[in-house]
Amino acid sequence: MTGAPPPAGNGPRAAVDRAGDPTTGRLAQRQAELVAALVAGGPPPAGFAPGPLAATRAALLRKRAGEVARHWPLLAAGLGAGWPSTFADWAANRPTVGSLRDGWDLARALRERGALPPAGAEELVAREVVLRYDGRSTPRPRRLPAVARAGGAVAAQIAGRVRLLRPAPRPPAALPAGGDGVPDAAGSAAWISD
Amino acid sequence: MTGPYGVGIGWRPEIAGFVAELPGLRFVEVVAESVPATGPLPPGLAQLRERALTVVPHGVRLSLGGAEPVDPARVAHLAAVAQRVDAPLVSEHIAFVRAGGLEAGHLLPLPRSREAVDAVCANVARAQADLPVPIALEPIAALVDWPDDELDEADFLTEILDRTGALLLLDVANVHANARNRGTDPLALLDRLPLERVGYVHVAGGAERGGFYHDTHTDPVPPAVLELVGALCARRRPPALLLERDGDYPPAAELRAELDALAAAANFPAVT
Repeated sequence: MTGAPPPAGNGPRAAVDRAGDPTTGRLAQRQAELVAALVAGGPPPAGFAPGPLAATRAALLRKRAGEVARHWPLLAAGLGAGWPSTFADWAANRPTVGSLRDGWDLARALRERGALPPAGAEELVAREVVLRYDGRSTPRPRRLPAVARAGGAVAAQIAGRVRLLRPAPRPPAALPAGGDGVPDAAGSAAWISD
Repeated sequence: MTGPYGVGIGWRPEIAGFVAELPGLRFVEVVAESVPATGPLPPGLAQLRERALTVVPHGVRLSLGGAEPVDPARVAHLAAVAQRVDAPLVSEHIAFVRAGGLEAGHLLPLPRSREAVDAVCANVARAQADLPVPIALEPIAALVDWPDDELDEADFLTEILDRTGALLLLDVANVHANARNRGTDPLALLDRLPLERVGYVHVAGGAERGGFYHDTHTDPVPPAVLELVGALCARRRPPALLLERDGDYPPAAELRAELDALAAAANFPAVT
């Protein structure tokens, strides 16, 4: 499975140019190229057989999907059998920023597309009222009360206690009697918070 | 603080109740990064410590095979966890998990080169300087091989163990996976590894998918891996074997049967 010749014209020039550098520089560069190819859509590093590289990329995405599902069980369950492919499509060229943030970013992306399942919407609003997440750095605890809405779900947090004020509407077949049936527009999350 | 002995299981919060009820269990392994350095221990784990079970912290994020020096904060955390659970040893992998500012999210293989041997030995030495107990190093399962390996697997691993003085955490499922995916003979590798250096052994399940054997830790242990456990024990029985299961947990009866099969393959007392 080794020894495939480097694809013509696809050799990493930098690696060749740096061949005379201290060895750690060269190893560091080659490791960085491999990781970039696996998780960030980087070009395949010279000499690696494409089949095993693709299998590794797929295995990493499956593992990541499982870890994110552990942090976002309702989001994953809400997508059901579609979870692995939904996650993989979204994550293919996005390096992980940790399972909590990966799932959070995906939930927000699905909300923007109107594709967030009800259980995922409820999980998202419950998170949004507890932690403040700017999409770029580690979420931090909110010090003030907050309300969040997504996909029709509404949650509030006061003094650290979270209450789901309104569940996200289910498709009609699953709608419990007395459902209020006034869904918010997807992506209309609004904040009353610090 | 006794070394790992007999059949153990990887402690995970999802199966903490199952693990707590195994009457003959004497040791578990815990993912070091999942144990806080201060504050209360995870509930089920604290109970096991009260029963004086041996707990081995198993690091997965140190990236000892990275070209950059290992992060001292990660070593400090592993050291703190080892002290908290009164561990006789800790373990980590011969692998890297990040490079160029990106997290791979999993263990990636090193090129089997002198340069990589130097890098991993330097990092193991840095870790050993700050760890209160010995470290065991685990060779990983990998689907990719680097195109320019200078050493074969046995020479690569033996050189790292010789230079660092580390113990070997031999993962029999990884040996099976690599042999299956590379088309090599797993017994030939066992014949050339320093089995007297084995601190304990990992066993896990996997599955065939897309022409590769994947070491998933979420599938049953296949017969071929159990046979390899027997072949290993025929050469030199390790002091302990540990079942790793990381998800898709089966009913308790199935997990008990896997532990029993492991005990039978190695002629250890059943822990169930």
